[in-house]
Amino acid sequence: MRVEYINPFVESAFNVLKEVVGSNVERGELFLKSSSQPVLGVAAIVGLAGDVEGRVLFDMTKDTALGVASAMNGESLTSLDELVKATITELANMITAQAVTKLHELGFKFDLTPPALITGENMEVTDTEVEALIVPVQLEQGKIEINVAIRERA
Amino acid sequence: MSTIRQNIKEEEASRIENIDFKMVTFSLAGKEYGIDIMKVKEISKANRFTFVPNSASYVRGVYNLRGDIISVIDLRVMFNLPAPKVAEGVMEDMIILRLDEMLIGVIVDSIDKVVGINSETIQPPHPIFGDINIKFIKGVVENDDRLYLILDVERILGQKGEAPSRGPRPLAAVAPVEEEAYSEDKNLDAEPVASEAKVDFSFVVETLNTFRHFVVSPLNIAWTEHRFEQWKQERGEAVEAVQLQNVEDADAFLLPFYSDASGHFFPASLKDAYAALFRSLKTDRGQIAVWNPGCGRGYETYSLAAILKEVFTDKAVKIWAHDKDLLSISTAPNLVFQKEHVPSYLLPYVVEGKNGLSFGPELKDLILFEYHDILHGNPFPEVDLIVARDLGSFFSRQDQDKLIRIFTEKIRTGGLLVLGKNEVISDPGWETVEQAGLTAYRKKR
Amino acid sequence: MKTKMDFPSINERKPDGLKPDGTPYRVLIVDDSMFVSKQISQILTSEGFEIAGTASDGEEGLEKYKELYPNIDLVTMDITMPKMDGVTSLEKIIEFDKEARVIMISALGKQDLVKKALMLGAKNYIVKPLDRAKVLERVLMSLQ
Repeated sequence: MRVEYINPFVESAFNVLKEVVGSNVERGELFLKSSSQPVLGVAAIVGLAGDVEGRVLFDMTKDTALGVASAMNGESLTSLDELVKATITELANMITAQAVTKLHELGFKFDLTPPALITGENMEVTDTEVEALIVPVQLEQGKIEINVAIRERA
Repeated sequence: MSTIRQNIKEEEASRIENIDFKMVTFSLAGKEYGIDIMKVKEISKANRFTFVPNSASYVRGVYNLRGDIISVIDLRVMFNLPAPKVAEGVMEDMIILRLDEMLIGVIVDSIDKVVGINSETIQPPHPIFGDINIKFIKGVVENDDRLYLILDVERILGQKGEAPSRGPRPLAAVAPVEEEAYSEDKNLDAEPVASEAKVDFSFVVETLNTFRHFVVSPLNIAWTEHRFEQWKQERGEAVEAVQLQNVEDADAFLLPFYSDASGHFFPASLKDAYAALFRSLKTDRGQIAVWNPGCGRGYETYSLAAILKEVFTDKAVKIWAHDKDLLSISTAPNLVFQKEHVPSYLLPYVVEGKNGLSFGPELKDLILFEYHDILHGNPFPEVDLIVARDLGSFFSRQDQDKLIRIFTEKIRTGGLLVLGKNEVISDPGWETVEQAGLTAYRKKR
Repeated sequence: MKTKMDFPSINERKPDGLKPDGTPYRVLIVDDSMFVSKQISQILTSEGFEIAGTASDGEEGLEKYKELYPNIDLVTMDITMPKMDGVTSLEKIIEFDKEARVIMISALGKQDLVKKALMLGAKNYIVKPLDRAKVLERVLMSLQ
């Protein structure tokens, strides 16, 4: 992934999470994975278009999703209902949008597509063979793996 | 009477000099221990362990080792030894063991060095020797006035299978480990007289891998053997002196391996040599496409960009520059440097900034720096030139083979491949090209 | 002797959501995210605003506005929504009612879309994540 794209995603994730979830947010070490398959159980995906093609995926366990949604709504949410899904989707949207805004300022024109949330045991995301940058973020509620798979438009 | 004593001394001396077992030594609660170097993948310092709930108390957690998640065990806790509490963020010494296909990290008080011994001097353990359960100790050995307890790693980590062997290990077991396949290419039987030298060499090979991830293979075996002979001259024939005890030794050994101007802008003389080499690239297309995997901080890349612009004045230059070391490559797009480090041919491209000089868009826009693992697939079109200096030698044997295959696929017929100064490929698909003191490989039809 | 009536009562602040005559301002929330809708609603109702209605896309937003008119004081409008986006919906609402007061809510600081909205007549905009103070401040500014 192009070096200039990395920091905006890392910073946005950290800033937004700190602001909306409030608890201690710690960034783990970045690394590359050969496939971009989500693995933890709940994944919010935001598509990217423009100078690049690809998507940003927010991978987390169900418990983490519930914990984060609870914190963001200020109430205890215990099942993966419409509100929780809308909350996690909105989180993904905010982080990606902030990153894209920063990238605009750097001269890279990206666009977001509306986010989607997928859950379940055997999640299939079509672009499994694309290399992904993983930004692990550790929260009180658990870990979120931000999985960015972007390709320059040739 | 004196001759008998003499004989015993001589026998002892010769026994000691026959080093056929090497171990990484470390301390746990004040005592010294050793682990067979063949089981050690690497040593490092680490501090970011992710705690795993509901695991045994000696499991410190898991650790991200360049993408692989490995379990990390605290040996002191496992053996009920006092473990000093470290402050948050302080790095601890960790040995990464390779058992069958599995990698496991073990934390120790402090890693010392690699010690070579004659396996015949290993004594069976006596309960009095250790704080830890005797079943975990393979044996005890004395070296240089210190007593080391050699750990039975398989027992400790609960591996099922053969009972740990006691006593000397057969010499044949020493050489081949999947990555050190250089020995498959060499015919050991052909030189029975030099077998001890072979063992020495194989130990050096192993430690080069352990300390610096330098993998000896057909790519660099010629250089490595030659260097070893040189090294022996430099260090003297004493066995201890020849072996690589630590990272510093490995670095000293490898110093002459690296290509010219590694980590720096190419000086004018080198630039002229590469320019002469690149002139032999013929293409009808309007663009010169270049791949620079392992570009590090970008010094090499910027030098190449300037050279290519000079040579191909009528063509567009595009360079894909990749590295999987995030720290290095993240500084590449905005590399800052001082005037005294810039050779004159690069000066026209330089702009002033508040922290120093950097490159303007005329050169920068030619290069796409990406944080990327090239073994994960490379979605860009065929290139005219690949510059991969001192890259393959730091890949495992398997990955080296993969790498050459990838190069063969990605480069167009007639394209040039530039490897490290001391790396060679001899393959019928590539034709060796020599120009201005440099060697490159042209892909044949 | 001074009685309670003689001193100004500093502890009784009038909630922001009430008009000078004491009735609440009526707000229409247009956003495709249940979470954002809920957030805005919570912030406003805690200050006495009344949520007159919600819509989850621009088309529904336009219809609801027409239904509630003229008993509608303010619209919060998300920019990115399916079916009809916020800027188009804003345009149509202003066409219908020149005096309509609309605030744009956006995750993107995309200057061009926000500028377009402001030129079309939006009173103000708020960038997500929403914080209570910012929301109330911008809403009140738009109601002046």
